[in-house]
Amino acid sequence: MNTAAPTPSNTAAVAPASKIAVALRGVSIGYNGVPVVEDIDLEIFAGEILFIGGGSGCGKTTLLSSLNTLRPPISGSIKIDGIEIVGADQETLQSVRRRFGMMYQLGALFGGMTLLDNVRLPLEEFTDLDRASMDEVARAKLGLVGLGEHALKQPSEISGGMQKRAAIARALALDPQIIFLDEPSAGLDPVTSADLDALIVALNHMLGTTFVIISHELASIFAIGHRFAMLDGARKRLVALGPPAELRDHSPDEWVRRFLSRVPSSET
Amino acid sequence: MSASKSIPPTTVTITSTPEGVRVEPVGDLTIATLAAVRSAVERELPAKLGPSITLDLAKSGEVDASGVGLAVFLYRTAKSRGASFVCVGVTADRRVLVDLALRGQDPQIHGAPTGLVREVGIASLAIYELAVDLVRFSGELVLVAVQLVFKPRGLRVRDTLNAMARHGTDAVPVVSLLGLLIGAIIAFQTFDPLSKYGAKLQVADVVAISIVRELGPLITAIILAGRSGSAFAAEIGTMKVTQELDALRTFGIDPVRFLVMPRMIAAVLVTPLLSVWASMLGVAGGYAVLGAHGFTVAQYMSEVKVALTVGGFVQGLIKAAIFALLVSAIGCLAGLRTGQGPGAVGVSTTRAVVAGIVAIILADSVLGAFFYTIGI
Repeated sequence: MNTAAPTPSNTAAVAPASKIAVALRGVSIGYNGVPVVEDIDLEIFAGEILFIGGGSGCGKTTLLSSLNTLRPPISGSIKIDGIEIVGADQETLQSVRRRFGMMYQLGALFGGMTLLDNVRLPLEEFTDLDRASMDEVARAKLGLVGLGEHALKQPSEISGGMQKRAAIARALALDPQIIFLDEPSAGLDPVTSADLDALIVALNHMLGTTFVIISHELASIFAIGHRFAMLDGARKRLVALGPPAELRDHSPDEWVRRFLSRVPSSET
Repeated sequence: MSASKSIPPTTVTITSTPEGVRVEPVGDLTIATLAAVRSAVERELPAKLGPSITLDLAKSGEVDASGVGLAVFLYRTAKSRGASFVCVGVTADRRVLVDLALRGQDPQIHGAPTGLVREVGIASLAIYELAVDLVRFSGELVLVAVQLVFKPRGLRVRDTLNAMARHGTDAVPVVSLLGLLIGAIIAFQTFDPLSKYGAKLQVADVVAISIVRELGPLITAIILAGRSGSAFAAEIGTMKVTQELDALRTFGIDPVRFLVMPRMIAAVLVTPLLSVWASMLGVAGGYAVLGAHGFTVAQYMSEVKVALTVGGFVQGLIKAAIFALLVSAIGCLAGLRTGQGPGAVGVSTTRAVVAGIVAIILADSVLGAFFYTIGI
């Protein structure tokens, strides 16, 4: 399925459909061998903004844990940038981990470190840059997310929205081509949430970064999502994939239409 | 059969027919009346329900979100005894209230074991998981230590120095106080018994040997468990709860190298020094008692020198280092094993302190026997 065309009303960039950033084949995820969602086939194109959503407990975050290499799936194949991560050795996983950035729901900035230290940490660990250069790169990343003047503050000294932007700056530290975001809008007011959406679109435009976003924030999904992939915990499968507005209006699946139209389950 | 129960101000009538049981409350069904109505219904419900239970709310007055608990009780009773449940005599709004309250209320019937079998199973699994974690953690520690030997740049030197300051320098006042007092207490307790044999000055021997070989390292390690073991567990546990450990892993940074090693190295380096300091003050504390009985510092120190051997001093240092290794490893492991939720960090902290102190005492017993056997 192709992504949305670039129009003034749709600020997101067009994803070139040719290159596949992440590919899932027959992936089953779950806990202790018990699947929550089975047989997921999904191709995420380089440069697109893909939202993954579904009802509470449908396996969204578990799927993200498999994509970011922390929890192997029960079965199936996951390729990031063409590299298979299921069953891969530590060396391969380490190499893949440098190809993506990750923003956690709570930001997960390291307390006791300034924002600059937080962003500089991956550079210290994985590059041979001198300290001055690392500082400049880290400051640039903080500048990109609008936190240049807060570089020397601790995470506890800034707001929740700023913490999430700082977490995105840290995710950008090693210039990854893919960024995974877990519930970026959670706990944010609508304006801050919209600001974060604008930042994601801007980074997508400027850097061509692929964004894979776990969220059920409909406003964000419709505003910036090229495609929406929907998981259903009851049927244990991926039930929809496509442009959000198209799914909301024309999906053959009633649950998908209701979800994207925010219709209560008691309404028939 | 008909039974009427008067429960002011609400009454309930229970009628048994071939179609089933009909329960009809008359009056308000609220949080104030529910308990009485429910217990009356429970008492009066016949043993044989028939095919259904009908709750008739036509004559009930106010029904609030607690009063609807009667419907939940009857629904669950009906389901668990193979009958159906129906609620009649309700307005549309009240129907919604009842329907919402009944959602997901089916009694859980499953074949999972209960009671002792379940408890034994859970405990066994917990012990198994702990054993696996201990083995894995020990392996990781060795692996990371070897990696750091060949690639020292991987050690977070600044974090290690910070940890040394926090867990070493900052512990000096409390270690000093306890060392001094323990030395004085030992001298107090042994002065009279030894006086009977005319061996007052030998109190210095007792103080020196017990403090340097045993109590100096022991009290230092127990303070370490209380101050630092708990802090390690709380710091790392909080990082786990706030997903910072996941963030490290997705960066490809090993939390054992990044978080555990600086703390363990700091603990192992500073604890022997603290132990020596505690021992020095303990010996000084012992003199407080002998000094009060007219012995000079020179006499006391000369006896201390006779009592102390290089072997005894080294024994104290080795014990302190091993205790530090155990306490810091247990504290960090407790932090890494922290579960989810707000109470998890507290549980990990308690576990770190208790397990740390138990490990210290066990290790002390083993080391004591070992040093005795080899004659140090």
